[in-house]
Amino acid sequence: MKTTLLLNSSMLLTLMIILTPTILPLATTSKNSAPSITRAVKTAFLTSLVPMTTFIHSGAESIISNWEWKFIMNFKIPISLKMDLYSMVFLPIALCITWSILQFASWYMASEPHITKFFSYLLIFLTMMLLLTTANNMFLLFIGWEGVGIMSFLLIGWWFARAEANTAALQAILYNRIGDIGLILSMAWLASTTNTWEIQHMHTTSQTPTLPLLGLILAATGKSAQFGLHPWLPAAMEGPTPVSALLHSSTMVVAGIFLLIRSHPMLSNNPTALTLCLCLGALSTLFAAMCALTQNDIKKIIAFSTSSQLGLMMVTIGLNLPQLAFLHISTHAFFKAMLFLCSGTIIHSLNGEQDIRKMGGLQNTLPTTTSCLTIGNLALMGTPFLAGFYSKDLIIENLNTSYLNTWALTLTLLATSFTATYSLRLTLLAQTGFNRTPPISSINENNPMILNPLSRLALGSIMAGLLISSLITPSNTPPMTMPTLTKMAAILVTTLGIIISLELSNMTHLLTLPKQNPYFNFSSSLGYFNPLTHRTNSSNLLLPGQKIATQLIDLSWYKKIGPEGLADLQQTSSKTLTSTHKGLIKTYLGTFTLSILIILMTL
Amino acid sequence: MSLLHLSFYSTFTLSCLGLAFHRAHLISALLCLESMMLALYLALSTWPVENLTSSSSLTPLLMLTFSACEAGTGLAMLVASSRTHGSDHLHNLNLLQC
Repeated sequence: MKTTLLLNSSMLLTLMIILTPTILPLATTSKNSAPSITRAVKTAFLTSLVPMTTFIHSGAESIISNWEWKFIMNFKIPISLKMDLYSMVFLPIALCITWSILQFASWYMASEPHITKFFSYLLIFLTMMLLLTTANNMFLLFIGWEGVGIMSFLLIGWWFARAEANTAALQAILYNRIGDIGLILSMAWLASTTNTWEIQHMHTTSQTPTLPLLGLILAATGKSAQFGLHPWLPAAMEGPTPVSALLHSSTMVVAGIFLLIRSHPMLSNNPTALTLCLCLGALSTLFAAMCALTQNDIKKIIAFSTSSQLGLMMVTIGLNLPQLAFLHISTHAFFKAMLFLCSGTIIHSLNGEQDIRKMGGLQNTLPTTTSCLTIGNLALMGTPFLAGFYSKDLIIENLNTSYLNTWALTLTLLATSFTATYSLRLTLLAQTGFNRTPPISSINENNPMILNPLSRLALGSIMAGLLISSLITPSNTPPMTMPTLTKMAAILVTTLGIIISLELSNMTHLLTLPKQNPYFNFSSSLGYFNPLTHRTNSSNLLLPGQKIATQLIDLSWYKKIGPEGLADLQQTSSKTLTSTHKGLIKTYLGTFTLSILIILMTL
Repeated sequence: MSLLHLSFYSTFTLSCLGLAFHRAHLISALLCLESMMLALYLALSTWPVENLTSSSSLTPLLMLTFSACEAGTGLAMLVASSRTHGSDHLHNLNLLQC
């Protein structure tokens, strides 16, 4: 009794604390400020540790149901929040990362005149994300889904005077909208077939029809930037670095995967949907890793790395392992946010330089930042016993010992080696070697606003994997026995990627690249996806639309079949017949003979 | 039908067609008119011979008289139009054209 009381009240308290900076200025005369919002998030984080430890201690889960929207007679839409493993573990992680990012943003956006608005936007985004995570029915999840989409639009286009930022924000909205079609399709199917939108009712005993699952997979493809709807994620790097760190690495982009984790009971019955997830995830992870190999912008490399890890999460869903996908979400959030914060520090220190070809030797001037960068990259690569190892290695082991698609397996292993390659390339070019930056740059990281978040996230990157995997009871047994080569497969391909990267960076220092080759062009132009699809799709949709609207409807049905057609007919016939009425004898004689002939023929 | 009948039927028909579809000159129309008259004369002459009614032997002569008058009128018109327009081209006779 006391356990559930503690759980529910602390959870509600956490959500209240998050809502306070949004609601309080409307009710009273107090104003928000950057430090006050940071303090609110920190308090919420500390409060959210209580439900998490309660859950770890006792395994208690709960569902809170509030006011019900009596919209239609037979259909219940309550405001219900679900506290299970996923929401209770995700909440502290998201709040810790947001607190660190807000602290960092106090330094990064210090020269921004509208800094309070920026922080408010981030807070509203966080609220929406927490709503999405704790939602127990699809209606609240949809509200959170749309909310994070809108905040993503506002935050990517924060510097709205830049044309590229506006284009990127619009691109994000459009691609997310295509995914939303799938989500609404699934919601409609659920409402019409199962008459409920509650997540605990989303369970089928026999094989689930493929249609709603396709809708959910489409929604995940849009939100989590799988291959096909992926171009918005690298373009979203136009936003400020705290935005990239929060939205497009830890929190928003995992919303799609989270949706699939929530609907896992339905998904596990349908092998077609699982295979689709597997192949789509494998393709996404390899494509993004391939594109990251030749990027020169530090934020784009990390963005593609995010995209690749999202593909890996999709692969895990396809393997029917939602808990492992959630573990990867949690560990990935830590080191990816840290990588973005490190890149933000580097960019600000070098006075806005984002090209890694113009960085170098930062290990001497930014020791803490580059150490954290190294830790983050090692965790990303799956170095044994750092955070990424516990999730990534388990995924690769499960993939190797399952009776599933070999093609997906090959692609994932290849992507793992590419991950090592581009991470090491990033590290080598940005940190080591000689200094390639312009001489005058005010490099100073001795600010507790930078160091505290960074070290906190570094601690998380090291410890999170161990902590989460040892404190949470797994829902299915991991594979225990496998051949040695299979067990070492992830390490081997990672080492292979490292060796190749060392060799390649040696090549760039000692030899010159002779000429372009098609693989380099394919990788650096992101697979030619953007120019191919953006123009053809839109013109294929808009041209028939124009033809139908102007030529079919306006011209044909309003004009030609009606008055103008009749006028044309009359005009043609009168033009033809006028020549016989000119008063010429020849015509009359000709008509005369013609009539005689006709009469003679019928006699 | 016999060869005689064929000859004046075909003469009449061909001249009729020639009258209706003449192209450039008025005189070709008048010539066709003359051959139509000739064919009619032949037909009218054959009729009392075949039907052995000698009382209608006058008819071809009447017809011949009237055709001569008509030929004279036509030629007078031809001469009048060639005196007015300088030639007998039919496209000169376009007073009533709209």
